[in-house]
Amino acid sequence: MDDVTERVDRLVTRSVTGDDVVRGPHFTSDVLPVTGDEITVDCESTNLSVSTDVYAAGLNSALQRWSKAEPQSVSLHVVVNASGWKPPKPKVLTFGLTFPEAVTFLPSAEKKPDEDLRPIVPPKPEPESAIPAGPTEAELLGVEMPKKPLTRIKPPKDSLSLEDRLFYLLQPPLQTWLAGQELIIPFEPFPYQYEGIGWLFSRSSALLADEMGLGKTMQTITAIRLLVRGGQARRVLLVCPKPLLPNWQREFRTWAEELPFVVVEGDTDRRKLTYTMPGVPVLIANYESLVRDFAAFEEGTFPKFDLVVLDEAQRIKNRTSRTAETMRALPRRRSWALTGTPIENRPEELGALYEFIEVVPPNATPDLKQLQTLAKEFILRRTKDLVMKDMPPRLDRDEILELSPGQRYAYDQAEKEGIVHLNELGDQISVQHVFELVLRLKQITNWDPLTNESTKLDRLDADMEEIAASGGKAILFSQWTKTIDWLASRMEPYGALVYHGGVPTKQREPILDQFKHDPDKHILLMSYGTGAVGLNLQFAGYVFLYDRWWNPAIEDQAINRAHRIGCKSQVIVTRFICKDTIEERIDRVLREKRELFATILGEGDNLNRSLSLNASEIFGLFELKARHGKGTRTIGPKPPEAA
Amino acid sequence: MSGKDAQDQFRLGFLAAVEDTERGVVGGLLVTNRFGRPLEFQCTTPVKPNRTQQILYGPTLRPYLLAEVIGRTLLDKVSVKPHLVLIEADELLDLRTHVDIPVASFVAKPARDDETILRVGQQWLAFHLEFAADRAAVQKRAGQVPDTADLKEPFERIREALTETLKGPAARSA
Repeated sequence: MDDVTERVDRLVTRSVTGDDVVRGPHFTSDVLPVTGDEITVDCESTNLSVSTDVYAAGLNSALQRWSKAEPQSVSLHVVVNASGWKPPKPKVLTFGLTFPEAVTFLPSAEKKPDEDLRPIVPPKPEPESAIPAGPTEAELLGVEMPKKPLTRIKPPKDSLSLEDRLFYLLQPPLQTWLAGQELIIPFEPFPYQYEGIGWLFSRSSALLADEMGLGKTMQTITAIRLLVRGGQARRVLLVCPKPLLPNWQREFRTWAEELPFVVVEGDTDRRKLTYTMPGVPVLIANYESLVRDFAAFEEGTFPKFDLVVLDEAQRIKNRTSRTAETMRALPRRRSWALTGTPIENRPEELGALYEFIEVVPPNATPDLKQLQTLAKEFILRRTKDLVMKDMPPRLDRDEILELSPGQRYAYDQAEKEGIVHLNELGDQISVQHVFELVLRLKQITNWDPLTNESTKLDRLDADMEEIAASGGKAILFSQWTKTIDWLASRMEPYGALVYHGGVPTKQREPILDQFKHDPDKHILLMSYGTGAVGLNLQFAGYVFLYDRWWNPAIEDQAINRAHRIGCKSQVIVTRFICKDTIEERIDRVLREKRELFATILGEGDNLNRSLSLNASEIFGLFELKARHGKGTRTIGPKPPEAA
Repeated sequence: MSGKDAQDQFRLGFLAAVEDTERGVVGGLLVTNRFGRPLEFQCTTPVKPNRTQQILYGPTLRPYLLAEVIGRTLLDKVSVKPHLVLIEADELLDLRTHVDIPVASFVAKPARDDETILRVGQQWLAFHLEFAADRAAVQKRAGQVPDTADLKEPFERIREALTETLKGPAARSA
């Protein structure tokens, strides 16, 4: 404790008078007492009295008088220099985009909607008079009713300028654009079709490769319509195979009734005039005449189009063909190609289509990986399995038939003689020779010209009796117009109609119309070549393949005339195959190939291999042997090595 | 359609903004025809308030920026003038005090008749209370808009477009 006492200092400060003043004790911080200890502080007192002497200086009385003060008024106004501050308005830079003016056309006369397709029923708004209204079911349940997803147009990845991207982003969703507002569309598209329309609309280079029957035509017409109405395209050239001209005209009238179009037809002068005619937004031409017409123009004088669309674009798969060269030479800003079979035989065919849509340089030969990379950006392909899950099923059945005795005799004779003939040809044999025998035998399986016997006809007759009795409709496909004409007279009781290449183009449309609307017409006999593409016959519930085509893809195209959007019930597909004949052998080869491709490449697409029979496979249909010394040896090309 | 007819057609303006934490606010004005088809789009470069403005404007900063700075500028710039400007937040209704065009915001369906509210398309609109004539002026043309029109939908387009502008190097702050 003594230590603590001793270390108490005095804090001494100097007063104004100069005296020392004691302010009290002060502890240095390092000796603070421990809590609980008693601290004794000694205080010292200091006397503060100061002795002074007063001198008589004569001022004392003066100090006792009041001083004289004379008040004087002064202005209290003070000038203050204050600085003002107003928040500056931030400087704003702007960027603008003006959209092209919409083009309008006079709508055509009102017409009755097609019964086969369902019309759009826009959601009915609540009338104003209904206020106050009770809570809706959703409100009562406290849930938000799910809205239909809207399809927005996305800018293509290759659009570089901000203006281009904003142009597409700011377009309204297709559903609101098309559903009973500015543009009237007769029937509501499916969601995948909205997607296709939006995709096409935003593309300069596009290959729409939807599987047959998914509505490529409708998607294309609607996208064209949006481009034309939105001021994006003023001249469109659509090129299709000649037999499909009526189909495109009909579809344009259905899906874009207000859009004027002209078919390029007539003599050379008239066609030339049509190409240069101003004010026509859509021209429809066929491949053959366009190739001729293009050549008739002097170089560089063919009119430029904002968009050229090639339907059944596999027509230009051979890039050195005159057709392909002409299509690539057409002056255009946008290029679209449509096909359900972008590759029929070889991947190089896809290269030809890429060249048309201008995504590869001329004569480029992209490898498989490059083709696939380009496909992701420039091809839109959907299959029925993916998008039409609720579509009625397609039931395939193979009718294996025994040849009638007369047919069997004729067939065996022809085969025997044919094979003998081929063997005699030895190394002189060509695929053409074998092909001729195959055709001869196939024709006998259809019907024997000598006896007029046909086991297929007997079966067809039995089936048709049932179909006609139930009011159904059937389509029959054959490879030969001769077979079709022969069948026509025999199918007379079922109101048979004939549709093949021998029927003049102008008569074809009324035939389809009659088949659709006449309740007594139960069967339409068609050739693969003329009827397999582009026709909408979804009201037919039965398809007969009277004989087999070489490529299952073509058969699928034919079947898809009936099994497509709008079909209400299942489609029954019957393939006639005669037992122990060339048909059975062809069917086996095609089936094996199809299964192989499905295993390797997945269902639906056949990127790397041909589905058609190659020369080796055609030879393999017969066991052909030439004499070789004392024995024989197999003749014909060697089969290709397995990949 | 003649030019005069086109002029008489109801045009709607949709004003929206997107905020980027780094660069500030970008505003966009989309003018459409009565069916929602775009006629003109104007957008701003990002506007970022400074610290002084943030302190002085406090909670009123956002309405100030969107209405007085961005909205007013865009409406001055746009060459196709709308007959009605729609906004999503009613705090921006004050834009009306800076422009000569009716401004309306969305409100819930009224429980009973309300003369200050007007139905256009699928939505119910409220107007600035100090501009009583706006409702009547808009009502004259409102019938041109289809009853099925969703007037909230164009805001999604604007937001997508503004987000796209923010991606580019051109979107430098003002």
